[in-house]
Amino acid sequence: MVQESVLNTNNFKKTSRDGVNWDLSEAVPRLPGETHVADKEVIYICPFNGPIKGRVYITNYRLYLRSLETDSALILDVPLGVISRIEKMGGATSRGENSYGLDITCKDMRNLRFALKQEGHSRRDMFEILTRHAFPLAHSLPIFAFLNEEKFNVDGWMVYNPVEEYRRQGLPNHHWRITFINKCYELCDTYPSLLVVPYRASDEDLRRVATFRSRNRIPVLSWIHPENKTVIVRCSQPLVGMSGKRNKDDEKYLDVIRETNRQISKLTIYDARPNVNAVANKATGGGYESDDAYHNAELFFLDIHNIHVMRESLKKVKDIVYPNVEESHWLSSLESTHWLEHIKLVLTGAIQVADKVSSGKSSVLVHCSDGWDRTAQLTSLAMLMLDSFYRSIEGFEILVQKEWISFGHKFASRIGHGDKNHADADRSPIFLQFIDCVWQMSKQFPTAFEFNEQFLITILDHLYSCRFGTFLYNCESARERQKVTERTVSLWSLINSNKDRFKNPFYTKEINRVLYPVASMRHLELWVNYYIRWNPRIKQQQPNPVEQRYLELLALRDEYIKRLEELQLANSAKLSDPSTSPSSPSQMMPHVQTHF
Amino acid sequence: MPATQSLKKRKIVSASCDSGTSCPAGVASCPASSCPFRSPRSPRLKLLESALLLGPRPTAGGMEFSELIRTGRAQAELLRGPGAPPLRGTLCVTGHHLLLSPGPQATSDLWLLLLRSVDSIEKRVAGDSGTITLRCKDLRVLQLDIEGVEATLDIARSIEALSSLESVITSFPFFYRPKGLRLGDAWHFHPPEHYYKRVARETNAWRLSEVNEDFSVCPSYPRAVIVPRAVDDDALARSARFRQGGRFPVLSYHHAPSGTVLLRSSQPLTGPQKRRCAEDEELLRAVLAGARPGARGFIVDTRSAQAAKQARMTGGGTEAKAAYPGWKRLHRPMERGRPLQESFVRLVEACGDLEQSMDRWLSRLEGCRWLAHVKEALSTACLAAQGMEREGACILVHGAEGTDSTLLVTSLAQLILDPLSRTMTGFQELVEREWIQAGHPFQLRCAHSAFSHARPKHEAPTFLLFLDCVWQLGRQFPLSLEFGEGLLLALFEHAYASPFGTFLCNSEKERCLCEVRTRTHSLWSGLNQPKEQRKLRNPLYVLNPLAIWPSVEPQSLRLWQGLFLRWTRPPEPSEAAWEKVWQIVTDKEKTEGSQPTVSASEPQP
Repeated sequence: MVQESVLNTNNFKKTSRDGVNWDLSEAVPRLPGETHVADKEVIYICPFNGPIKGRVYITNYRLYLRSLETDSALILDVPLGVISRIEKMGGATSRGENSYGLDITCKDMRNLRFALKQEGHSRRDMFEILTRHAFPLAHSLPIFAFLNEEKFNVDGWMVYNPVEEYRRQGLPNHHWRITFINKCYELCDTYPSLLVVPYRASDEDLRRVATFRSRNRIPVLSWIHPENKTVIVRCSQPLVGMSGKRNKDDEKYLDVIRETNRQISKLTIYDARPNVNAVANKATGGGYESDDAYHNAELFFLDIHNIHVMRESLKKVKDIVYPNVEESHWLSSLESTHWLEHIKLVLTGAIQVADKVSSGKSSVLVHCSDGWDRTAQLTSLAMLMLDSFYRSIEGFEILVQKEWISFGHKFASRIGHGDKNHADADRSPIFLQFIDCVWQMSKQFPTAFEFNEQFLITILDHLYSCRFGTFLYNCESARERQKVTERTVSLWSLINSNKDRFKNPFYTKEINRVLYPVASMRHLELWVNYYIRWNPRIKQQQPNPVEQRYLELLALRDEYIKRLEELQLANSAKLSDPSTSPSSPSQMMPHVQTHF
Repeated sequence: MPATQSLKKRKIVSASCDSGTSCPAGVASCPASSCPFRSPRSPRLKLLESALLLGPRPTAGGMEFSELIRTGRAQAELLRGPGAPPLRGTLCVTGHHLLLSPGPQATSDLWLLLLRSVDSIEKRVAGDSGTITLRCKDLRVLQLDIEGVEATLDIARSIEALSSLESVITSFPFFYRPKGLRLGDAWHFHPPEHYYKRVARETNAWRLSEVNEDFSVCPSYPRAVIVPRAVDDDALARSARFRQGGRFPVLSYHHAPSGTVLLRSSQPLTGPQKRRCAEDEELLRAVLAGARPGARGFIVDTRSAQAAKQARMTGGGTEAKAAYPGWKRLHRPMERGRPLQESFVRLVEACGDLEQSMDRWLSRLEGCRWLAHVKEALSTACLAAQGMEREGACILVHGAEGTDSTLLVTSLAQLILDPLSRTMTGFQELVEREWIQAGHPFQLRCAHSAFSHARPKHEAPTFLLFLDCVWQLGRQFPLSLEFGEGLLLALFEHAYASPFGTFLCNSEKERCLCEVRTRTHSLWSGLNQPKEQRKLRNPLYVLNPLAIWPSVEPQSLRLWQGLFLRWTRPPEPSEAAWEKVWQIVTDKEKTEGSQPTVSASEPQP
């Protein structure tokens, strides 16, 4: 009881730090634009501490429960966006204590259960209100992000500017050009408007290639190596089909990509799928690049499974961690979910991509079926390994904005924002899996990332919350139609206006260092702080002091850097005087030991 | 070399330890002898020899080391696993070391391995060269490619013979004379008197007894032990006769906030007739009387009720309820001995099996049961600590002999409760007091590590399990331990093979006979040198006055990668992180106080 309340006061504080207004009459946090819908006395069946009587407040954004029992400070604060399913439990005649009420399944690895009184229509009202606001799309209501009136002192929508990002990579150059051929999303409706393609390929070529690639997702540049100029190119599968169709333009186009770097003799194609799946795709018109047709290319399969396999795997993880953790055979149960094995395969694939490019051996083309799930995972992770810029807070935001949001990872379908169809086969935790891979990397390289675990968890929380427009819709064209950047707030506004909370005090900026995580099962671990965070018994024993100490260190580091700069300034002013140079770290080393 | 000259003449009194049983430390005579290097030596090797072997020429049980060395040297290439580049050079076996000298023009330093740290050796010959695989007690695997079949076989035999010598006083610590350390420096660092002073400040109910001064009452206890003031030495001696190995209940820790104590002993020798011992009963009664009024007691037996009952058949047993009013018995079965060693062996095998990289790793890890042992140890320690802190009860811990799982529980319970034991010196004192002086038989338990092909006799990784539990505590409470993983790794290494004398022998009695304290250097003085500190200390440490209750859920316990996967993963990232934290903390000292002070003991750069 104590622990859970601590946990929830944290949430409480967090929201208040986010600049949330408090409704004094109800003492319920309230965002600008958030409106009260209903409140009701219920019994919250806490899976860890048993039933707790409380009052639940429902707004158009959240479900908020405050304990009415004097010995419990329990608070639940759940954005309605995380709800995936609401069920009635028990009937009017069911007996037994607390057997009548609502059962709520969430997208963030927990379930909530409320018991209500059987008399009146109390349950029906609550069920209807919740359903209406948790699934606004089914009721012709707007998603909360469009009602949110929060103001931040930075505008997160300004974080990503494709032209600037490509310029940072040194593009355009002699071999690569920026094209506006997709300005009105005519070439490919799920691609961004701005694309980088080989200089030698004309717009006409691109149009012809598009006819041979699934959903017209042609090969375009994601990243270019600053020195050896090899590239990572992404696309969807070629439309080979049963008959083994070929397309001269596509073949020539891939060769043009290869030739942008004179040193390499073969283009490496990574097909993210298992071999059999790629073959099976021929039946539905898809397929892969055959050796006969693409002489100067080598194709490898990366054996990463599809969205359905990942969804089922995560479901199994939830089964063993919520509400009760499978204790007696924890490791073998965890193994049977295969979740870590999938993480391993994704990381292994990304390492191969990064290694090919970094060694300058070959340019790399990555695709899966449609090129918006596994492809996004592979390109973004490889870029994270190769380019230290993406390991800063803003760099990572740009990476997500570019490889995921602008290139049409179908967030709306995969997450099901505001949609009541909880069993939709399109839903899948692909983005979560990517964030998990990033977390695994940050564990293995504790100094390489500017952001901390809280940053990743915050991103995942708002992946579902619908408070921000960042992850809404499936592609850029849809977002543009809905004027998302004008009508909603960006998640990066929240994060960038309070960056200190998300900083890793041990971050050491390193340019040009390639990170190769160890993707062996024995070096991967379950992200307990995310997947099992609702269980008070798993909670690390003293999160607050640790966080506090990290913040302290962060402040110290900043102070030190400032001092160092001052001293350097002073030094350069009196360069001739050797007695005043106590600033270089190596010279300061000895007093590490002063207090021993 | 005046210090060693006198040693040459000395003859150690032969094993007169226990009447009837021979001293397992294998005491041998030590006459001076000729040089182990027969072949002409390079200047480099000469230099090294003088650095290493400032003592008399080592001999082994009458036989000279030189007789065990089949060959002086050979050309070889050393492969040290991922991350470390191979080394080429001249390989040489000396009495205590294997060395590889990379030739005059090479830039790399001489490479050196203590032969005692070799756990198993495997040789293969093909054509006109051979390969020796050395598996070390610190879990490192080394491969030597050697030119010449004869040379390979000779070197392998030499290593085999020299690494398995059992004699204590011809072991390397007796010859190791590092620069900057003086013999006997840290040996009086943690005597029982020191801890007693602390207890005496907190309570008057306990006294320091020297009943065991000549080790006759209990051969595995130190000379002085802390006992209830109300019990006299005669009663102690009688109680000792009623306990296996004479290990009568003694104070392990006094928890001042609750006024309760933690005691340890061995099992009572009740036997099938359910014998009783009035003095033993009186001793435990006096414990409760000396604690806060109305205090109860719990006896935590680290065996199952079944096993405790069975022990009666062989003369052991457990405290009868009627005989010890106020004491309640709890059984917390913990694995020990061979099953624990086998678990360790299986785990190391699984960690080193690089073929099997992905499928079934987790279930294999589970099958090793190592983490289950970690969980058992931590939860039993929590139980003991909880009994004191929350219930205000006195706790007596014992299993059978009281030298393994008992010490695991008492030492972990102290770490949980006592902020002082979580400091650098406090922890060293804890290891010294609760493991070394308390008579954990290091020589027997750590004779072999996980690679030995020999059937385990007395080997068991109890101390390693303790270190692993401490590591888990440190992971769950990253700010609360003043020391870091580096210290735990060092203790693991040194417990199995060390140039220092700290972990030699099985008891204080044996250490006394071998004159370990006067003739070897203490590990603590080695570790407490300023240059070692950055590796060993936790830069994030802030004093935490509270008890640290670990979570023992299976999800909260991790494989100690830093130890078990130490040699198969690139260490840089975690080392870089450590260095970074140090930098930040050091910067703090820089920014505080504009005039940084350098301590007097600090050598100026």
